[in-house]
Amino acid sequence: MPIGNLDVPVIGKNVVIAVLVQSHILFAAFIIGAVLIAATSEYLGMVTKQNNYERFARNLARFVVLLFASGAALAITFVLALVTLFPVFFSILQNVFFWVFLVEAFMFLGQIIIVYAWYNVWDKLAYRKSLHVVFGFIAGFFGLMAMTMIDSVASFMLTPAEVTSQSDLVALSFLNQTMVPLNMHRFIGNFSYAGFLIAGWAGWRYLRTTQEDDREYYDWMGHFGLLWGFGFLIMQPVIGYGYLKGIRESSPDSFNTIMLGDKSWVFNLLVLWIAVLSIASTAYFVHKLRFAVKPMETLRKLAVGALGFTALFTVLNVIPADADLIPQIGLVFGQGEGTQIPLGSMYPWKYIGLIGLMLVGFFVVALYLRASATGFHWGRASRWSQVALMSCAFFVILTMVTMGYTRETARRVDNNPGYLIHWCVTLDQQIVGEKCPTKPLSEAASR
Amino acid sequence: MTEFALLLQAGSTGDPTAIGVFRFFAAFVLIVTIYSSFLGFTYWISKDE
Repeated sequence: MPIGNLDVPVIGKNVVIAVLVQSHILFAAFIIGAVLIAATSEYLGMVTKQNNYERFARNLARFVVLLFASGAALAITFVLALVTLFPVFFSILQNVFFWVFLVEAFMFLGQIIIVYAWYNVWDKLAYRKSLHVVFGFIAGFFGLMAMTMIDSVASFMLTPAEVTSQSDLVALSFLNQTMVPLNMHRFIGNFSYAGFLIAGWAGWRYLRTTQEDDREYYDWMGHFGLLWGFGFLIMQPVIGYGYLKGIRESSPDSFNTIMLGDKSWVFNLLVLWIAVLSIASTAYFVHKLRFAVKPMETLRKLAVGALGFTALFTVLNVIPADADLIPQIGLVFGQGEGTQIPLGSMYPWKYIGLIGLMLVGFFVVALYLRASATGFHWGRASRWSQVALMSCAFFVILTMVTMGYTRETARRVDNNPGYLIHWCVTLDQQIVGEKCPTKPLSEAASR
Repeated sequence: MTEFALLLQAGSTGDPTAIGVFRFFAAFVLIVTIYSSFLGFTYWISKDE
């Protein structure tokens, strides 16, 4: 039996890997983001003496400790599945990234130890709060380092490094062309994703709770979560642009597949989810300004204007370039690619949309933070504002899954052949040499 | 059905048939199921503390 020729009945082996990794990342990204948010919240509680921060940090830390097992179990199952179903590919990765995987394993270990210690000594270090906060940040740091290690592998698979000698292989593969942008994108994304989920959970609890003090707490928690969620989301267009620019320069055919080609509908879906997130968040902010302790009518009117602009700019991002919407299912109008849709082209409209969304986002967050400085009357938020928070949590999950699919499907290009490592290793684990920029790898094909 | 399969495996030289569509949605359902059940379990074991 040829090595690595195992398949999985019914769903196939590609789906097994996709399911395990996507599920894992939904936990892993949340854990990294949540640990850092909780540590920051604990610090804010220490500085401001406001009880909400401490209560929130401790509850979130407990949730992370309990959730860790699920995330870790999925990671281990994924590695097991990869070794079993793609042994040749895994062996190639090990040859290039041995040190990276080793560091990753120890970062993971460090994260487990410190996260558990952090939660467990909460009371013991109650009078040494600064030290305890540092525990939280170190746990977050270990998580970020583990993420950095795996990002180098994931980015290498899409944009393998240009390496000509064996001695450069490890360093250049680690710092391949899209490693830094991907890492920045995920660093920011962790906060945003965790923030939206926290806000959604708070919205759900707010609607369910019957106690007044809990109602006030969950109202505050929704506000705090959304500040993280939306505040970090609006940094993403410029970082995402940098990442896509890296992909375009290093793997242009992958870029064309996901931005202009057969799979460009995934990006349309993505901006649709982001439109929902942005509009729901801004609408929540506008609503919340109604309950500012110090009435701020002018700020509120400005925020209403910002909501209008958010809607305008997000709609600009969603408009497809031409009437050839999804040709594969016959969703074509007019002359297809020949029929250009007004305001649909990337330049200048989508750039205007993305830059405008960022500017308006920063503006509305600044307004909202200004109002937060004097505080809000908690516990009075309307039902629909909490539904907006919950829909943010739902759509941020769709955003994560869509983005994961987009990056991985980019390597398939036209499926002739699809790649595991772009230009270097095909989906059926064959090393191909011709266009592979990583010469020590491609030379193995000719041997 | 074949046209819809092409949506998911555009230009595929593989086998763009109903199995492709099935696998896409099977993957999505599995991800959502695993994610929500693990989250639900974590909530369940932590709620009475």
